[in-house]
Amino acid sequence: MQLSCNYDVGRICALLIGCLLGVPALMHAQESPFFVTYTHHMEEPGNLEIESSSTFGVPRQGQAAYIAPYLELEYGLTARWTTELYAEGQSSWGDSAVFTGWRWENRYKLLSREHWINPVLYLEYEDLNEASRIQKEVEGGGQDLSSPNRELVGEHAHELEAKLILSGDYHDWNVAENFIVAKNFSRAEGISFGYAFGVSHPLATLASGEKCRWCKENFTVGGEMYGGLGSTMGFGVRNTAHYLAPVMSWLISDSSSLRFSPAIGLTHESSALLFRFSYVYEIQGIGGKISRLLGIRP
Amino acid sequence: MKTRLLGVAILSLLTAFAQNLGYEPDRDWRAPAPAASQSNPLLAKPQAAAGGQKLFLRNCAECHRADGAGVENKHSADLQLPVVQQQSDGTLFWKITNGHASRGMPSFSKLPALERWQLVLFIRTLKPAGSQAPDNTIRN
Repeated sequence: MQLSCNYDVGRICALLIGCLLGVPALMHAQESPFFVTYTHHMEEPGNLEIESSSTFGVPRQGQAAYIAPYLELEYGLTARWTTELYAEGQSSWGDSAVFTGWRWENRYKLLSREHWINPVLYLEYEDLNEASRIQKEVEGGGQDLSSPNRELVGEHAHELEAKLILSGDYHDWNVAENFIVAKNFSRAEGISFGYAFGVSHPLATLASGEKCRWCKENFTVGGEMYGGLGSTMGFGVRNTAHYLAPVMSWLISDSSSLRFSPAIGLTHESSALLFRFSYVYEIQGIGGKISRLLGIRP
Repeated sequence: MKTRLLGVAILSLLTAFAQNLGYEPDRDWRAPAPAASQSNPLLAKPQAAAGGQKLFLRNCAECHRADGAGVENKHSADLQLPVVQQQSDGTLFWKITNGHASRGMPSFSKLPALERWQLVLFIRTLKPAGSQAPDNTIRN
């Protein structure tokens, strides 16, 4: 495997990727196990969640295997408003390692109380290039998984993405559905659509009185399905990527957790398999801690 | 100069973590009658409060302190006060489930229902300093 970086920024990114892979990635407790589907559960106000994740893509014939790591900072601005910043990269087998861009997303919970369906509005700005492969969402048609990175990094995608998240908890089952609408302002490709659907349940619903790492209560399992629904130039599932993925999260301490999901590509436009890993570390009340440090009264 | 800085820092910390004795609940934050009348399904299992304590330390202590006394600076409820302890189990469960967004209290509906009832069970054990300490403690 020969890795060569095309740009200085690519070298920095490759170094960052190496660090992230070498060190166990960072995550949080009772986290949703989903990688793509969003639920109505928001970050607690003042808490910062640092998450390091990677998507490994197992190719179909004629495609290159890839790894796409990303770093995510999630902050609870209020009890109903969560904001997140992403930085992502990608490295393909026999090709280069490149920085693929950044994203800034915001989620706002529309209703203050819990209901059987809880709507959340999601708005994201993406400044990416076409080499992006983290696949935090799948929308429109399939991705270009065959072209080399040197061609893909030159194609910028300034995209605005909106989601309607519908989610609810029923007898400790979480059921969530996302409808995705995205517009790439860098290309005349219409408005693209996508979906994600997930169901999850904790392995145990009663907490033991002991501090334990392997108790069933620390594990949540489930499944999610996500894919593209074409665009205004051709709506439907034809020539689009779809994945079916079991998911699992493991709360390894009060402030950190691991997630894992192997996703099976259901169409020719999908990668054959995706392996997703994530480590989350949560810092509670960081806003207040910084305020106190600076002598500002919250 | 150093001593003065240290003094200011200690005073700031004390202010930041001062017990919220003056806590007054929002009168409009009320559980609907059917929710308020719910009884705790774990009442017959008082030992489940130990699990509640673990969950409390993980999810609630940042704002309410480990002893539940609240933090004045954060306007978080002092859970030891009679105004809280006099509320029904169902009301406390409903408040944990729904949160109170305008006062910064998040919803904890992400926790399974039984775990939220465990929290209620543990909150019942919170006593002001000097009174009897909680019976259930996490075994390490």
